[in-house]
Amino acid sequence: MKCEEFETIGLDAGRDASLSEAERAAVEEHVSSCGRCAALQSSWQEARMELRALAEETSSAQAPARVEMRLRQELRTQHSAWKSRHIAVAAAWTLAAAAVLIGAVSWVKWRDSQHLAKASHSSAAVADNPSSHGGVSNSNAAAGGFSVDEDSVTLVAGNESGNYTLLPGVQPGDIEDSEILRVRMQRSALGAFGLPVNEDLANEWIQVDLVVGDDGSPQAVRLLQE
Amino acid sequence: MRIVDQERDDVLLRQAAKGDEEAFTFLYRRHQAALYRFAVRMTGNAWAAEEIVQDVFMTLMRDPRKYDATRGTLGGFLYGIARNRVMKHLERLPREIPLEEKNEDGTGSGIVLQDTATPASWAEKRERVDRVRAAVLELPAEFREAVVLCELEEMSYEEAAQAVGCPIGTIRSRLHRGRALLMARLEILRDVPRRATMAK
Repeated sequence: MKCEEFETIGLDAGRDASLSEAERAAVEEHVSSCGRCAALQSSWQEARMELRALAEETSSAQAPARVEMRLRQELRTQHSAWKSRHIAVAAAWTLAAAAVLIGAVSWVKWRDSQHLAKASHSSAAVADNPSSHGGVSNSNAAAGGFSVDEDSVTLVAGNESGNYTLLPGVQPGDIEDSEILRVRMQRSALGAFGLPVNEDLANEWIQVDLVVGDDGSPQAVRLLQE
Repeated sequence: MRIVDQERDDVLLRQAAKGDEEAFTFLYRRHQAALYRFAVRMTGNAWAAEEIVQDVFMTLMRDPRKYDATRGTLGGFLYGIARNRVMKHLERLPREIPLEEKNEDGTGSGIVLQDTATPASWAEKRERVDRVRAAVLELPAEFREAVVLCELEEMSYEEAAQAVGCPIGTIRSRLHRGRALLMARLEILRDVPRRATMAK
């Protein structure tokens, strides 16, 4: 081992776990044969004693108690600020949710009332229809009943049977699980369902709600106001 | 709720993050001394060390999510912050060496020697400690850090390398250069009183 190498790894060979046994032995051998490095090691031992004295002096050093007090105070302040911020945010969200709920409930109620008003109006129209249009025509029966404008077909949810006129041969219980189709057709097509049609108005386009059974056959009809 | 001494750091930190003062105090008491010792040995200044320790825990308090338990111990994480602050402090005041550290009430050193020796031997020991402290504080920051960790904190080379985040070879090389400078400095400092005595 050379002196430069000893200076790098030899002074602390006992503590350096990365050194091999062979390296440690070389350090021992070198220091026993080199006076300069032996003096260096002795000088380092002396310096190390002084370092130990410094380490001992500061070994029980602790941050003053005021640091802990300040930090605890800061934690309290920070947490109470955090709490009030979260309470404010929660309150704002609750208010917003309540407003949305109220709006939704009001809208649903308004829609229901509109729907009821419309339904009562159109049932009155269907009830008037047979008496006002006395004549019956079968002219459109051959065409398969009625003509439907595809763009105007709408699937309407709900199965209300109260405002509908049942088609001949249909029992009230048959329309329990039916679908409702809103269609535009010529009035003459009502004849295909066995309903009376006024010949003077036979070519008039009307809008009706048709209750259609599972097999696709119409079971009840309701005239809608134009 | 009482906290047991063995409660893990990450568990305590989670509780502290929810505002649990007791958990935070436990964490603080567990780590403050090591951080303070490191800071005071690196800066040689009790006020700076106090500020650094406070700053480290403030950082932890303000953003506890910065600590990731999967990446290492909380002690290592806090040491990293402290090291950063120490280096910043040394950059700002590269040559600042306090003459005397005072207690809060202004009465002498903040560190009390547990010693029953005679005044003469106490004074000699005190002089020796002051000398070596001055020599350590004159080392460049990187060498000083290696000396503080390996010689004063008595860390192994491996632990020191992990704490600093560098290879063991770097620690060994910094120690080698730090020791050489330290010994030279101590020789000079030892010679000053000798020369003064001879002059008399």
